[in-house]
Amino acid sequence: MLSVHDLTRAYGDATVLDGVSFDVRPGRVTGFVGANGAGKTTTMRIVVGVLAATRGEVTWDGAPITVEQRRRIGYMPEERGLYPKMRVREQLAFFGRLHGQSREEAEQRAHELLARLGLEEREHDVLETLSLGNQQRVQIAAALMHRPDALVLDEPFSGLDPIAVDSMVSLLRDEVSAQVPVLFSSHQLELVENLCDDLVILSRGRVVAAGAVEDLRRREADRFRVVLAQGSDAGTLRDLPELTVLDAAGPEALVELREGPPEKVLEIIQRTAPVAEFARVVRPLAQVYREVVR
Amino acid sequence: MSTAVWRIVAEREVSTRLRDKTFLGATAMSVLFVLGFFVITSILGSGSDEFDVAAASQDEERIARSAEQVLRASGVPDAEITVRRADSTGAAEALVRDGDADVALLAAGDGYTLVGDDDVDPALGAALTSAVAEDVLQTNADVQGVDLEALAQGSEVDQRLLDPNAVDSDARSGVAFAFALVFFMTALGFGMTIAQSVAREKESRVVEILAAAVPIRALLWGKIIGNTLLALGQVLLMVVVGLVGLAFTGRRELLTGIGWAVVAYIAFFVLGFLALAALWSVAGALASRQEDLQSTTLPGQMILLIPYFVSVLASEKVQTVVSMLPIASTMVMPGRMAKGDVPWWQVGVGIALTVLAAVVFVRIGSRLYERTLLRTGGRIGYREAFRLTA
Repeated sequence: MLSVHDLTRAYGDATVLDGVSFDVRPGRVTGFVGANGAGKTTTMRIVVGVLAATRGEVTWDGAPITVEQRRRIGYMPEERGLYPKMRVREQLAFFGRLHGQSREEAEQRAHELLARLGLEEREHDVLETLSLGNQQRVQIAAALMHRPDALVLDEPFSGLDPIAVDSMVSLLRDEVSAQVPVLFSSHQLELVENLCDDLVILSRGRVVAAGAVEDLRRREADRFRVVLAQGSDAGTLRDLPELTVLDAAGPEALVELREGPPEKVLEIIQRTAPVAEFARVVRPLAQVYREVVR
Repeated sequence: MSTAVWRIVAEREVSTRLRDKTFLGATAMSVLFVLGFFVITSILGSGSDEFDVAAASQDEERIARSAEQVLRASGVPDAEITVRRADSTGAAEALVRDGDADVALLAAGDGYTLVGDDDVDPALGAALTSAVAEDVLQTNADVQGVDLEALAQGSEVDQRLLDPNAVDSDARSGVAFAFALVFFMTALGFGMTIAQSVAREKESRVVEILAAAVPIRALLWGKIIGNTLLALGQVLLMVVVGLVGLAFTGRRELLTGIGWAVVAYIAFFVLGFLALAALWSVAGALASRQEDLQSTTLPGQMILLIPYFVSVLASEKVQTVVSMLPIASTMVMPGRMAKGDVPWWQVGVGIALTVLAAVVFVRIGSRLYERTLLRTGGRIGYREAFRLTA
């Protein structure tokens, strides 16, 4: 498990990161969201070791991370970093060799990844002749070259069309084994919602929410949408002490449970009127985000 | 098996440059430049010791041939005279007019006339005049029954040179100048390229991935070693072309005179280049964009420019001192060795100080490089860089 504890980074008098702590659990994708300038990139750069923390530490399985462990992380920086004038496959092989692969191994691996990304035919082309979307695929491949023990991806999908995102996501799923913790930052909450198991929300250099996506959504009392049989008035539900009616119109109501498990409450409602629909309302992540960042 | 990081980085530097058309073009240009130098000097040189003399009779031809010996004895050791035989004095003059002969030696009345086109080479003129005098004297002496040898007894004048090397002192100065120029151009050219490639890595952010994967120091070493090898290769190429050029233009005696200077030059070159390479990398690391390089590379340019002008312009005493100082030594010391004898201790001091400078520069350079490489968002000054902590 990759963890950060009390990470703080100051530039002069400005503190851009203030006591940030969270875990990136193995085999789970942790989404890292927050407004521009919230400190996401700073955190990630400290994790991979290209920036030093003013205070705090990064740990791997509970012990301070070593230089060797850090180098086993696959990193995709926010501002893309590749040699514009180098051939694609040669470039990937170069990165693989820097990570200790032999020339043959690196060449083979580069070819394999490019084939998976559908860039087989472009592997001998100079990087800058590729479209921006394809360059981004190469960038992901660069992070995966050495079969990393952890992945730190800063805005990996920004600027990609949905199909490109899908192909990258499936590559990540195939390449990343169950033991690999993945931290990825994004502005696209919808994407984070679909892809992430855990979530860390950063605001002005502090963690304002962290945990499993499901838990964050359910932090408040469960809400349900109730639709009674045609002709019934949902307003009558206001008399039940087990729930609070937040909104009611005709046979429909939005209710919050005060006590008891949902199946019990359903039974109680059914005693007042036949129920056509009873469903948990899942709050979209965007709403959770707005609430905690506010 | 995995290879050391610095080697992989160095390999990339070398293979990228060897495929770079600008680099290949510049190398080809410098080789052509060296070749051109020899072509021009051999064209200019051929006029001074190879002569064609037109002659219209057997006597004239004999005298012209003996003039070759006279010329060789009087300070033109490589002199060659080719006699062009013409049928008549008119035809001989035509040869001169058409440029096929430098001069025509023609019997006229009591004596002989030298017919030139617009001038007569003074050395050739003197040699022919003296050959005519000798020939005629011999003939007259025979007629008069005079023992010419007895008559000429004791009039022999020999030449002896106190400094036989001075004959090719111009050539040696040329070699010394070439040493300084080639190092200046190569170090500056490669220096700017190193700075550019570092700045480009910063600009394209590839440096983030590199720094996350390998020690920054290994990156620096790879760059320094890769580029030093390239520069050394380029210089060796030029030296070989130069030496072959000297051999082919018949200056073998010059070759033996400068042998040690060439060896010293290559040693000084590598050391001087190494010392500067770290500095150029720092210049690149201080820049955030290519435009910043103009100011961050200024110290490097000055370190090359000032000794270069000293090597070309300074007096001998100043040169002796400067030739032992780092960087300047590469441009001055091999040149001094080519021009004349330099005490070995001075060469030793020069090498030792350059090694010391290389060690110090690489140390300071790698510290500054490590501190500044990952900083973006504006040019960093040298003073600021020294104050920075990682």
